[in-house]
Amino acid sequence: MDNRSRLRVAHTFVPIASSKKRKSSNTLASQQTLDAFYNTPRGEALSTTLTTKSDSPLNKRTKKSTPFDLENMSQRSDSDHAPTNVKLGFVTPVTTPSNGNASNSKLLSGNLRTKAAPKKLIIRNFKVKPQLPPNYEDETWDRLKRAVHAIQNHEKVPESLETLYKSCENLCHHKMADRLYTRLREECEKHVQVELQRLSRDMGLELFRSQLLKETSLRDKIVAGAIDVITTERSGDTINSSLLQSLIRIFIDLSLYHDVFEEPFLQRTQLFYRSEGEKLVHSLDMAEYLQHADQRLKEEGVERINAYIDPSSKPKLIKLVEAELLERHVDTILEKGFQPLLQDNRKDILALMYRLLSRVHALDKLRTYFFDNLKKTGGAIVTDESRDSTMVQSLLAYKQKIDSIVADTFDHNPQFANSMREAFESFINSRQNKPAELIAKFVDSRLRSGNKTATDEELESLLDRVLILFRFIHGKDVFEAFYKRDLAKRLLLGKSASIDAEKSMLSKMKTECGPGFTSKLEGMFKDIDISRDLMSNFKNHKSYDDIKDLQIYVNVLTQGFWPTYPPVEITLPPDMANSQEVFKNFYMSKHNGRRLMWQNNLGHCVVKATFPKGKKELLVSLFQTVVLLLFNDKKRDHLTYNEIRELTNIEDKELSRTLQSLACGNSRVLKKNPPGRDVNSSDSFSYNDAFTASLYRLKINTIQLKETVEENTRTREGVFQDRQYQVDAAIVRIMKTRKTLSHNMLINELFEQLRFPVKATDIKKRIESLIDREYMERESEDSSSYRYLA
Amino acid sequence: MKIKVNTWTVPAYWSWDVENEDVCGICQVAYDACCPTCTVPGDGCPLIWGECSHVFHMHCLIKWLNAPNSQEQCPMDRTPWKTAAAHS
Repeated sequence: MDNRSRLRVAHTFVPIASSKKRKSSNTLASQQTLDAFYNTPRGEALSTTLTTKSDSPLNKRTKKSTPFDLENMSQRSDSDHAPTNVKLGFVTPVTTPSNGNASNSKLLSGNLRTKAAPKKLIIRNFKVKPQLPPNYEDETWDRLKRAVHAIQNHEKVPESLETLYKSCENLCHHKMADRLYTRLREECEKHVQVELQRLSRDMGLELFRSQLLKETSLRDKIVAGAIDVITTERSGDTINSSLLQSLIRIFIDLSLYHDVFEEPFLQRTQLFYRSEGEKLVHSLDMAEYLQHADQRLKEEGVERINAYIDPSSKPKLIKLVEAELLERHVDTILEKGFQPLLQDNRKDILALMYRLLSRVHALDKLRTYFFDNLKKTGGAIVTDESRDSTMVQSLLAYKQKIDSIVADTFDHNPQFANSMREAFESFINSRQNKPAELIAKFVDSRLRSGNKTATDEELESLLDRVLILFRFIHGKDVFEAFYKRDLAKRLLLGKSASIDAEKSMLSKMKTECGPGFTSKLEGMFKDIDISRDLMSNFKNHKSYDDIKDLQIYVNVLTQGFWPTYPPVEITLPPDMANSQEVFKNFYMSKHNGRRLMWQNNLGHCVVKATFPKGKKELLVSLFQTVVLLLFNDKKRDHLTYNEIRELTNIEDKELSRTLQSLACGNSRVLKKNPPGRDVNSSDSFSYNDAFTASLYRLKINTIQLKETVEENTRTREGVFQDRQYQVDAAIVRIMKTRKTLSHNMLINELFEQLRFPVKATDIKKRIESLIDREYMERESEDSSSYRYLA
Repeated sequence: MKIKVNTWTVPAYWSWDVENEDVCGICQVAYDACCPTCTVPGDGCPLIWGECSHVFHMHCLIKWLNAPNSQEQCPMDRTPWKTAAAHS
């Protein structure tokens, strides 16, 4: 073991051995020293040796072992901590009695072993008389005073009673008893005085209170008077509120407020507001009424409470006003107020209504009114066929208005936002297919070139908003069909305003409906890109030289991606037909095993036309071009309708549309004879040699972009056709897993699976058709169930 | 009046040069549509012609030829499969 660890052992050992003893021996030692001190006559102090006779208990004990031997003493000091250090005097020995003992005894026992002759231990008096600390008396009194106060106030005494007793004793021993008594007396006197005062005041109040309780008529008069005054104030007059305040203070001081005043006060309040509410809810305009109620709540809850009513009545008072002015009239308020407020976009009042109704827990009712109102107003927008052309704009504006109402006045309450969504979803789908179609057309009109008014950001945010409407629509297939057809026209006729905007719309739909929804649309863009590469290849190909005069640009389309068009007959001029043939051969050489089918109805041309009054560049459809070419070089001055029909082979409807656009539109390149708006088969046409126009470049091919009635019906029918297939597929899928299923179960499962609205009667027809085609059969014993036929 | 066509743009659909409504002998799906593993028809799912004059979805045929019991024969006439160099 090295030195340090030995030291540590010693250290730890000593305190453990002595710590237990220290506490007790400490107090004991100090007590005994004091005992010894006081028991000896003043001025004499300790002058005895240990062997001398003495009355102190310590001395008595030591006496037993006379002659006083050191061995005995050391043993004893170990065993019962007898304070041998009495000799050391007054305060000082308190420091380390046991330690001192231990070292002493060791020393002494060492001496003992030498067996020297017994010596006498002599204890001498202190030379100087021990002193009390200078402000001992004041400090001790402070402690005692605290204790006295604690006792008077029935609190816990901060120090132990023993210490306090000792403190007193010490003071008395030092001849301070007189002063201590005087001080204590003063203290008690003060206390008694205060107590007495309180007692007499309480008594006075008690007497006053009992008298007042006895004098019921007087008391009732006072209370009624006070309430009358309050009612006067409620009616709008000014009153002496400080008088009222002191009166109510008296009630409170007498503890009569709750028993005598509050009850009648609240009753009168209720009566007052009941009659006021019933009167005003009918006579006032709802905005005024709500403002009035709000004002009343403020008056009662803040002003009156601050002025004279005790705050403990506030919750009851407020509840009363709420109940009488709002809760009783919730239905009237909503019935009368909600619709006009919403219509006039009175956000402040609606917010107030929301706040007030939430106080009486009537928000659910408000929400119901909100929902019904949206459904009614929105339904009116959607179902009004005369306003179809502006339906989407109206819906967008309406959505924006309601959005801001939900945000500003309904505090972004998610339940209200939810109700709004539900309402929109329900009314948009209250009219089938048409809203979806109109939304698609609206998007088309915004993405088409010539719509340069909006900036990119505006267009983007508009598309986002349209997409929200689109989200509500159940029959998304209708939207897709119309969107696809319009997109095809934009791409093939070069009418798309911005490919970026197109792609952004596409990605929006993709995130909304998943990649399955947009895969075909993406395919369309891909075809356009592939065609661009293909055409730049074609231009470098040697066969291109042959048709340089008549540059052809072909978009090669994958059949499944694009909308289908009915084949249209047309006899092309030989050079045009030739250029098509050249491209076809080029394409075949690149792609083995493919066929090309020309979609001439979507062809369009840039044509240079020389009129007597100037040169013009015309953007025309292929049909228009073919007709115009007939009049080329003045080969023929006049052509009848039938002649044109024969030469071009264009079918009637298409031909009359084409001729109308050339002879009756804004740019009349041809003259019709006789003139008129409509084209008849008896008309004849000649070229307009007086043709003038301010612009050099003229677009006459807008008819191609326009949707014909047939086109519209075809698109719609296409959707319904697709739906039939989907219904068939869903029925077969369900039956294949279930094997047998009752009719109702089948219908339910179908409604779950199908993503578009279907009528049960249509489903029945599909089931019949599947039974005919032997996909399934009716159960022989239960005709309302079906069995799947593998 | 003198008219001259400068440029003209016209779309054309392409389709596989096979009999209309005909189906692939392996998957029984129309040639115009795609094989069962693809989702979109067109360039992504081409047809393949054999010297034996039989036509299949390319994906279907490859799957068949990779099967151990195909012995690399045409599934229709069991002659060794040879892809036609050029289809006419």
